[in-house]
Amino acid sequence: MSTWVKVARYHLVRPTNYVLLPCLLPLAFAIGAVTAGRGDGHEAAGYLAGVFVYFGVLGSQTISRSLPFGLTLGASRRSFYSGTGLLGIALALVTGLLLTVLQAIERATDGWGLSLHFFRVPYLLDGPWYATWLTSFVCLFAVFVYGMWYGIVSTRWGILGTLAFIAVQVLLVVTWAITVSSEHWHLRSADGASWAGLTALGLTGVIAALAVLLLAGGHATIRRATV
Amino acid sequence: MTAALSVTGLTRRYWDQIALDDVSFTVPSGTISGLLGRNGAGKTTLLRILAGHEFPSSGSVRVLGGAPTENSGVLRRLVFVREDQAYPDIKAGQALRAASWFFPNWDSALASSLLDDFGVRANKAIKRLSRGQRSALGITIGLAARAEVTLFDEPYAGLDAVARKIFYDRLLADFAEFPRTVLLSTHLIDEAAALFEGVIVIDRGRVVLDAPADVLRGIATRVSGPCLAVDALAGGRPVWERRRLGSQASVVMVGPLSADDREQARSSGLDLTPLSLQQVVVQAAAGVLAPVPETGFETERTSA
Repeated sequence: MSTWVKVARYHLVRPTNYVLLPCLLPLAFAIGAVTAGRGDGHEAAGYLAGVFVYFGVLGSQTISRSLPFGLTLGASRRSFYSGTGLLGIALALVTGLLLTVLQAIERATDGWGLSLHFFRVPYLLDGPWYATWLTSFVCLFAVFVYGMWYGIVSTRWGILGTLAFIAVQVLLVVTWAITVSSEHWHLRSADGASWAGLTALGLTGVIAALAVLLLAGGHATIRRATV
Repeated sequence: MTAALSVTGLTRRYWDQIALDDVSFTVPSGTISGLLGRNGAGKTTLLRILAGHEFPSSGSVRVLGGAPTENSGVLRRLVFVREDQAYPDIKAGQALRAASWFFPNWDSALASSLLDDFGVRANKAIKRLSRGQRSALGITIGLAARAEVTLFDEPYAGLDAVARKIFYDRLLADFAEFPRTVLLSTHLIDEAAALFEGVIVIDRGRVVLDAPADVLRGIATRVSGPCLAVDALAGGRPVWERRRLGSQASVVMVGPLSADDREQARSSGLDLTPLSLQQVVVQAAAGVLAPVPETGFETERTSA
């Protein structure tokens, strides 16, 4: 068994964190179903964001809670990071498949008999099943990796380091926003149906590239992390 | 005998503070060695670097022939038990199960037996264990891993005397059956002294003593008795410490005593008390391995 798989198993030794998802999803769905009737077009897809946020928290916790003992078990930082990433891929694949199946059921039942759009996110998760699976997998994995990076920073540099990490990102986003505004770039199409002229799969590709960047950033950080 | 651990010119700086300063030593394979020194001397930093948890600023570190940093080939043959080990939110038994996947020589029967001996329940959450029980869990992992190199950093914080004896006994028994290289950092020197084949003493980031334990055990003797008799025996010899109280005097003489010396001491009514390993280490850490000048018996003591 490779060390990557051992690390992934090590994370799963206490499965409580990972069975929270089946609880979170029905809860978010229930809230969405109750509140969507009050909105236009019974749109409740925003509640699905909770699942993605949860993935980010999960990514952070896999590092911050498990890295010190993981190193004691003889895993190198590289192996630990790769094994944790492997776990993220597996979780994102399974969860993405679950979202795809639930989306298919939602379509077949005309929104669960309520004309509800919970698993059909306009533009992003509203295509064929394979596109939904691919996009949800990529997005889930990206936030998981993003959470991992936070976990590394907080484990190594504590609260101050995390705040500095956030500050740098805020600075980048603000710089980007100012640039977009000053250059009059139109990221959203006139009809509001797409971003930067990309199809949903095109945007998935951009998010995948971002995930690779996040993965590389986290890897570079963990290589210098001490516990 | 090949060196399992080899450190050359190791320095570790934190901003303006030097934690380790040009440290060099070797630890032979198949031995139990003590890493001793005062709090803040640099022992934990050294062990963390040996385990690849920390990075050296300069110098060379070799564990089983390779650099430990990010070297899976070395790290899987090494276990490092820390005093302040942080565990995830899991149960003791789950920690052992995870450890069994990583260490190729893991002995599950030994792990279960040790947990029983220490009175730690496998189904208890680690966060609910007492400090001593957490230490016992660390010791269990360190011993049951049977790694070729085992590093213990103050592994028995919070453990009672009975549990510590269990640790010493089980370590020796398992070491006899499955020899490996053990480096044990401890403040309970006399308690663990019988385990050690070699001793490394660090003070303020520098190695101040690196010698076989047997040599250190006979390296110095406290001679007490009448001033004149003590003076006669100690005259011209290196001495670490001199004390005088009235007509009585006491010196710590460096070097082995011959049969003639012992006979002279007996006939002069002098008491001879070999310095324990702990006393030798205290002298080393205080920087007084250099002899005291022979200036008569003042109540004096070299100090750091």
